[in-house]
Amino acid sequence: MKPASPLWRLLTVALVLAIGAGMYWATLKVNYQWRWERVPEYLLVTGGEEVPAPFDGTVAVNGKQIRITPLLGGEPQAIPDIDVVQVSDGEIVFAGNTVGKKAGITPGPLLIGLWVTLKISALSLVFALVLGLIAGLGRVAHNPAARDLAAIYVELIRGTPLLVQMFIVYFFLGTVLNLSGFVAGVTSLAVFTGAYVAEIVRAGIEAVPKGQMEAARSLGMSHWQGMRKVVLPQALKRSLPPLAGQGINLIKDSSLVSIMALTDLTKAGREVVSSTFSPFEVWFTVALMYLLLTGALSVYVRKLEKKMAHD
Amino acid sequence: MTKSESAAEVLIEARQVEKRYPNGTLALKGVSLAINRGEVVCIIGPSGSGKSTLLRTLNALESISSGEILMDGISVHAAKTDLNELRTHAGMVFQQFNLFPHMTALENIMLAPVEVLKLPVAQARTRAEKLLAKVGLADKAGNRPSQLSGGQQQRVAIARALAMQPRVMLFDEPTSALDPEKVGEVLDVMKDLAAEGMTMVVVTHEMGFARAVADRVLFMDRGELVYQDAPEAFFTGATNERLRAFLGQVAAH
Ligand SMILES: Nc1ncnc2c1ncn2[C@@H]1O[C@H](COP(=O)(O)OP(=O)(O)O)[C@@H](O)[C@H]1O
Ligand SMILES: [Mg+2]
Repeated sequence: MKPASPLWRLLTVALVLAIGAGMYWATLKVNYQWRWERVPEYLLVTGGEEVPAPFDGTVAVNGKQIRITPLLGGEPQAIPDIDVVQVSDGEIVFAGNTVGKKAGITPGPLLIGLWVTLKISALSLVFALVLGLIAGLGRVAHNPAARDLAAIYVELIRGTPLLVQMFIVYFFLGTVLNLSGFVAGVTSLAVFTGAYVAEIVRAGIEAVPKGQMEAARSLGMSHWQGMRKVVLPQALKRSLPPLAGQGINLIKDSSLVSIMALTDLTKAGREVVSSTFSPFEVWFTVALMYLLLTGALSVYVRKLEKKMAHD
Repeated sequence: MTKSESAAEVLIEARQVEKRYPNGTLALKGVSLAINRGEVVCIIGPSGSGKSTLLRTLNALESISSGEILMDGISVHAAKTDLNELRTHAGMVFQQFNLFPHMTALENIMLAPVEVLKLPVAQARTRAEKLLAKVGLADKAGNRPSQLSGGQQQRVAIARALAMQPRVMLFDEPTSALDPEKVGEVLDVMKDLAAEGMTMVVVTHEMGFARAVADRVLFMDRGELVYQDAPEAFFTGATNERLRAFLGQVAAH
């Protein structure tokens, strides 16, 4: 095969640029004001953390030293670590009022949301893999009860929308079992993804030639020994690429947990948009952050595949 | 002076074995045979005549519909028989080798001794190394099956079966998937094994091997055990019509 001409690459770049320019032109038409410079503060808050007054009292300010004398009487109390004083001497504050700010960088709403999304996705993925492995083994089991149960699970989950499943887990199970939004989110994502993992595992097992299990059995190994030592290692290796795809789907599907009073990346994006006037910048940024997560996962799995191909 | 005469102790006995596959195919029709300890029996016959099926019923890789098979006096297909234990006594070599591709040659051989016989790893390794040397592959211990030729893979597969120290070795067309120039190296290993007194049941199309090594040759056709005899008589003097037709066809190729 003759190496492709670099002109094709150039064409790609040109098309992408053209689409970008088109979008920019479209925003000009609606008089959109781009404020990219404000995006960093949604990621990292440099202003520092606000410090509230612990009780109602009268403030005494001396440089960066704040002391509050309780209105109800008692010894004045110093508020430590204040870098920006936001009250004046003699002012009366009530419990919870901001008296000043601590210096330092704290994560902004989008970064906090990213962290929540990462936690939910990672936990759900672990449970989904375990659940999917068990259900996948059930699909190929000799025991009819195991086969039927696994099939029912897979068909129920794949036949209904994730959002509906989430409503059921959150509003029904969540109420009955008193689950937090986080637990409900992880549960529904793991159960949903597990069904797809089960099908991937089943296909992987079925793709291993029958002669492999026969050879294991002919050596006196039990069905389970043959499964564990001979069939599954080969099946899982084959399953790695589709499993990576499922993991990426999981990260994206996790955006639906915003319905569960959980401030994940998507919910954080919505909150930032509603308090600012920069929907385009925020949603582009949120999209990029998801892309970072999914990209990291697929790079990791590709590395794993390479490693497994070698040994 | 066949070995069977010196120690005519029956190791495997099949009585009126019938096998019908779930799809209705009647693959074995009342097959009866006895194989003595130390005997080498070759089974020949046209494709689809039930040779593989017969071999696979001997270690219960296939169930039977009626009849009985005894190995060392134990009824192979009885419900109470511990098949995993029984199969450790019957090594099997497949046409397609069926080596475990995710393991090295050495690991292929060590797996069952460690998993099934619970042999300490060091001991299993020593055993595996000896067997690899025996089949002439001492230098391939660390190779994956994909890095071995077909003949080498089949020799590893033989070593893997031998690692369980079986009482009988079952071969299902062990050289049929090999390039012609690789057939000899596998047959040589099998000849050595026969010379050591291993009991062997070999389904094969290698008439030269059957003639030279077998104590007895069996002819199967359409699920029936049609004819059996010592090799000399089998290949030259047989009067059976179906056998003569089959041998005539083979010779014509
Ligand atoms: N798993 C199976 N299911 C149904 N029929 C089978 C199966 N395996 C073999 N057969 C049939 O049983 C007959 C004997 O097959 P086999 O024992 O493989 O013959 P051979 O090894 O002599 O070529 C053939 O008709 C074959 O089509
Ligand atoms: Mg066959």
